[in-house]
Amino acid sequence: MGITVVKVLVGGGMPTPLFILPLIVAGLLLGFIGPIFERGLIKFVYGRDETFQLLLTFAIVMMIEDIIKFIWGTSPQTTGGIDMVYGQLNVLGATVPVYNLIVIGCSFAIAILIGYILLNTRFGRIIRATADKREMSEALGINMTWVYVKVFTLGTILGTLGGALVIPAGAAVSEMGVELIVLAFAVVVIGGLGSMKGALVGALVVGILKSIAISTFPEIEMLTIYIIVIVVLVIKPQGLFGGGRV
Amino acid sequence: MRIPWEATSLKNFRIVVLVVVSLFLLGLPLFTGQFISYLMLTFFAYAITVVGFNLLFGYTGLLSFGHALFMAVGAYTAAFLTSRFSVLYMEVILIVSVIVASILAALIGTICVRYIKIYFAMLTLAFGMLFYTFLLKFYYLTGGDEGMRVLRPYLLGFNFSEVPKMQFLTGSYYLYTFVILAILMFVMWKIISSPFGLCLKAIRDNPEKAEYLGVSVRKYRWYAFVISGAYAAIGGALLAPAIGQVDPGLTYWTHSGTLVFMTLLGGFENFFGPLIGGIVYIFLQDKIMSLTQYWRFIFGGILAFIVIAAPGGIAGVISSLAKRRKS
Amino acid sequence: MNEATGRMILSAQDLHKHYGEFCALGGVSFQINEGEFVSIIGPNGAGKTTLINVLTGLLKPNQGKVFFKDMEITGIGPERLSKLGLARSFQLVNIFPNFTVLEFLMVAIVSRLGKGKNFFSSLLRDQEVTGEALEVAELFGLGEKKDVLTKNLPQGDKKMLDVASAFALHPEVILLDEPTSGVSTSDKNKIMETLVSASKKIGIKSIIQVEHDMDIVFSYSDRIIALHQGKILADGAPETIEKDEEVVCTVVGQKECFKIFSSILNREG
Repeated sequence: MGITVVKVLVGGGMPTPLFILPLIVAGLLLGFIGPIFERGLIKFVYGRDETFQLLLTFAIVMMIEDIIKFIWGTSPQTTGGIDMVYGQLNVLGATVPVYNLIVIGCSFAIAILIGYILLNTRFGRIIRATADKREMSEALGINMTWVYVKVFTLGTILGTLGGALVIPAGAAVSEMGVELIVLAFAVVVIGGLGSMKGALVGALVVGILKSIAISTFPEIEMLTIYIIVIVVLVIKPQGLFGGGRV
Repeated sequence: MRIPWEATSLKNFRIVVLVVVSLFLLGLPLFTGQFISYLMLTFFAYAITVVGFNLLFGYTGLLSFGHALFMAVGAYTAAFLTSRFSVLYMEVILIVSVIVASILAALIGTICVRYIKIYFAMLTLAFGMLFYTFLLKFYYLTGGDEGMRVLRPYLLGFNFSEVPKMQFLTGSYYLYTFVILAILMFVMWKIISSPFGLCLKAIRDNPEKAEYLGVSVRKYRWYAFVISGAYAAIGGALLAPAIGQVDPGLTYWTHSGTLVFMTLLGGFENFFGPLIGGIVYIFLQDKIMSLTQYWRFIFGGILAFIVIAAPGGIAGVISSLAKRRKS
Repeated sequence: MNEATGRMILSAQDLHKHYGEFCALGGVSFQINEGEFVSIIGPNGAGKTTLINVLTGLLKPNQGKVFFKDMEITGIGPERLSKLGLARSFQLVNIFPNFTVLEFLMVAIVSRLGKGKNFFSSLLRDQEVTGEALEVAELFGLGEKKDVLTKNLPQGDKKMLDVASAFALHPEVILLDEPTSGVSTSDKNKIMETLVSASKKIGIKSIIQVEHDMDIVFSYSDRIIALHQGKILADGAPETIEKDEEVVCTVVGQKECFKIFSSILNREG
C-alpha cells in the first residue's frame, strides 16, 4: 500500500523550484499534504479491491497534475543550473557536480534512517506487523487508523522530498508524475515488494540502466525502463528479494 | 446487482427499450446537428472498444491500463492500409486490424495473464507505453508524433469520395459503424451468456475455487484478453477515419485511463454500463473542455468520487434506486 | 461404502513440507485403496490441511511424491487435478458469492463436460447442463433454493454447495476438509448420509475426509489415519484405533479421553 502512496506524491513533489536548503525543507513540508489526502479520500478504499486503490491513486495524480499546471503553468520549470553552485569534483576520471554527490549522500542517509526505524523502533515493528497481518494487529490493540496516517505521511514526505531533490538536476514537467510512478514501480518490482534491501538494489539498477540508455540511445530511455519492468516481471515476479505473492 | 433476465415480461420490456433506443440512434443525424452526430459516431467506436474492455474488466476481473494499445493498433492499421498501401476497403481494414491485434494480444496476453490486479494493471500500462514510445520514436515508419493520415475508406465497396466529409461521416459512415456496433454487441451478449462467460465470471469471483472446479484460470483470462483486444482494434479502426489522423497519443496511458473511466462511470457490472459511461464521457468531455483547460482536475475528481462513493457507476446507482423502489 | 477392491488409488510417499523452520509435514506416507472411506484426524496444527493442500497439488512438498493410481501428481495444481478425477471441498467455505445455486453447480458441470470453450451457445438453453445441475442440487437438498444467490444462503447450505460442486465433477476420489464443521450436531448425520448416498449415486470410488467429530469418524470410516505434529501417529481400522490410548488422547485431548473411554467401556460392557 505504501508503494501506491509514494507513487502519487513523487509527482507532487516536483513543483518547488527553490534554493538548496529551502528545497529540502519545502520537500518535507509538502509531505504533510499527505494526511489530508489520506483522511479525506484514500481511507474509503482500503477495504476494497486493490485495483480501486490504484484507480483512486490515478485520479489523484490527474487532479494534482492540473493543480500544478494551474499554479505554475505548463512550461517546464528548471532551477537554472543552481545545482552547479557547489562546484564539481573529479571522481574516477569523470566530472561530477557536487550536488549530485550530496543527493546520493542524502539518499543513503535516508535509507539508513528508514531501515533503522523499521527494524529497531517500536513504530517500525508495528508497520511490519500490520503489513503482514492486519486483523491480528488490530486485535492486539494497535490503532490501525493512526498507523495508516503515519505511514502515508512518511511515504508522502519521501515522495515529495525525492521529487524536490531530483529537480535541480533536471527539469520539472507536470507530466513527470506518471514517468516517476513507472520508475518507482520498476524499482519495487525489481527489488521485490516488501523488501528494503530490494528497493535499494532496484533503485540502483534502474538508475544505472537509465543512465546507460541515455548515453547510448537517448531515444529509448523510457523504453528501456518499460522493457526492464516487463522482463523482470516475467522472469522473477517476486523481484530479487521480495517474498510476496503475485 | 442481478436482474433476472429470464423473467419474460422484463425481457420483452428490455427488448422494446433496445429497439426504441436503436431506432432513435439510427435516426439521430436526421434531426440533430452535424456536430452531435459526429460525437455520436466517435461514441460508437468507443462503445465497441469499451464493451470489449469490460469483458476483461467487469466479467473476468482484470483491470488493464494499457487497453488503448489495441485501439491504437486498429487505428494505425487503418492509417497504414489507407495511406501507405492504398487499401481502401473498410472490411479488409477491419479484418487486418483484428488479426494484427489478436496476434499482439495473444503474445502480450501470455505474459500478462499470469499476474493479477496491480501487477497486471502496471504490466499492461507498461506495454501500452512501450507501444507509445515505439510509435513516437520510429517516425520513419509511423510518422512520429505527427502521426499518419487516414484516407476515406470504401464502405462495402462503395466509393464515397465525392461526398463532402461531414456528410459522409454523419451519413453512411454513421450507419455503417452503428450496424457493426449492434452486431458486435449481440456477439458479446452471446459470449457472456455462454458457458464460457460463466467460467469467466467464476474466475472473477473466486479464482481458486474455479481452478478446483477444473477451469484453467490462466487460459480463460488469456481468451478474454485476446477477444477484448480484438474488439478494441475494431473500435480503433472505425475511429480512425472519423478523426482523420492517428497519432501516438492514442496509446498513451491516459487514453487507456479514459477507457477505464468510461467503463467505471457507466458501471462495469452491467452489460450496458460501459455504453452509458461512454456517451456521458464523450459529451461531458466536450462540454468541459470548452469551459476550462483544467478538465483533468474535474475528471480526476469525478473518478475519485466514483471509486469512493459509487463504484457501480451510473448503472449501479440506477439499479439500487430501482431496488429501493421495489421495497 | 463400495466394496474395497484393494486397488491403490491414491498414495502419499514420504511427504515433507516446511515453512522456514516450522515443519508441517515430516515424512507422511500412506496408501488409499479403491472403495475406502478414510478419515484423517488430529489436533489442530497437526498438518491436516497442509496434507490436503499437498495431496491436491495446491502446495508442492519439499520432499516426497503423491500418486494417483499410477500417475505422479505432486504439485500439478488444482485444475489438472480435477481433470484427472480428484476433487476437494474446503474447510472455510469457498464459494462464488454472486452466483445462484444453479449457476454455481453449472460451473463444475460445464468444466467437466468440456463445454467451457463454447463461446456462442446459450447456457440457459443447454438442457444437459441445467438439467444435471438441478439433479445435483436436489441430491444435496438444495433443489428448492436453486435460484438463490450463494451469498444469501445460510452457512450450512453454503458448505453443502461447496461440497456439491466438488461432487458435480464426478471425481473418482474426493477429499473433504471438515465437511461438517460449523454445523449443528443434529444436522451432521444428515449431511454424512447425503454425502454417502451421493457418492454411491455418482460412483465415487473413495472418500477422504478431515474430521474432528469422533462420533462421525467412528461411524462412517473404513479406516482412520491419525496425524500429529506432521507425522502419522496411527493408520488402521476404527476398531484398532479406538483401543489405542495414545492416539485417542492426543487427537481428542486429555479432557475428552475419559468420555471416550467410558463410552467404549459402556459399549463393551
